[in-house]
Amino acid sequence: MTSPLSDEDLVEGALGGDENAFSLLYDRYRNPVYSTAYRIIQSAEDARDATQEIFVKLYRSLRSWNPRKASFSTWIYRLASNHAIDCWRTRRRRHEAQDTDDAGEKAGRYALGDAIRSPYREVAGREQVEAVRRCVDLLPELQKKVFVLRYFQEMKLEEIAAMENCSLGTVKTSLFRATHAVRRVLRKARS
Amino acid sequence: MPRSETRHYSEEELLMHLLQEETPEAGENIAGHVRECGECHTVLSEYEIVLARIMRWGLDDFPAEVWDADRLRLLESFRRDQAWLEHRGLLLTLLHGLESAWSYALENPLPTLGYIVVALAFASERTITVLGLDRIMPATSKVIDILRQLF
Repeated sequence: MTSPLSDEDLVEGALGGDENAFSLLYDRYRNPVYSTAYRIIQSAEDARDATQEIFVKLYRSLRSWNPRKASFSTWIYRLASNHAIDCWRTRRRRHEAQDTDDAGEKAGRYALGDAIRSPYREVAGREQVEAVRRCVDLLPELQKKVFVLRYFQEMKLEEIAAMENCSLGTVKTSLFRATHAVRRVLRKARS
Repeated sequence: MPRSETRHYSEEELLMHLLQEETPEAGENIAGHVRECGECHTVLSEYEIVLARIMRWGLDDFPAEVWDADRLRLLESFRRDQAWLEHRGLLLTLLHGLESAWSYALENPLPTLGYIVVALAFASERTITVLGLDRIMPATSKVIDILRQLF
């Protein structure tokens, strides 16, 4: 049985122009990168485009990764979350320019359609997820990043602090505020 | 006096305990306190439910074929970039050479000046000879004599 290649080996290969090594890196990190982008941007299509752009950025800046400073996964999550935040900003500006009444009407119609088709519990579950999603969308950037990386990529808070160049206390407070906001929104949704 | 008897823990401390993000010592204290304190136990349970709700947020993913197509596009772009990087590599070598030459010139101005004079003299002699300027303008033949004496 052959042992799987380490991230370092694959990066070295990709830096030497080995297409296969880069393809393996893509296989290894495509899903977590997409998952991070999706939860920050909150649009599947935009997150898919962002994933592609993140990997282009990745191979263009592979030389700047220093294994002594951060693990490859931390480095790629940093790249992914920063790029996703940029895309989220662009998306928000685009949405702000659109007619908000029209969007509200559409959302209302969608929810009503779901309620007709689905059993009550499923709708309640979906509504809660929708409430979480909306709440995360409104969080400040650092809170959003910390929330997504801690809960969905299971990064330790110390790693996130090192990645963001801020103190562990700041990261803890950000995560608490974000979770607290979600808790409040869920309470409201239940009542 | 154990901390569990002094005060309730903050919601932030309780959340960090739930996520196992506190120091081991603080973890033991909080666990002990929560066993005895109904109020903190309730807050902790509520956060447990909140985390479970958060984890229900699934991924709206694409079929494997979509990702395979994306991978092919990406690899094509990778290949193009590699080819460009090779060209850039030659350019970088040239720039590096010029940079070294400039550093040498700054550190050794007199020898550099000598090299420049010799290079200019050689270039002038070649230009006059190749273009036959000494035949068109006789004065240049004197210049060429001087330049030949230099070598």
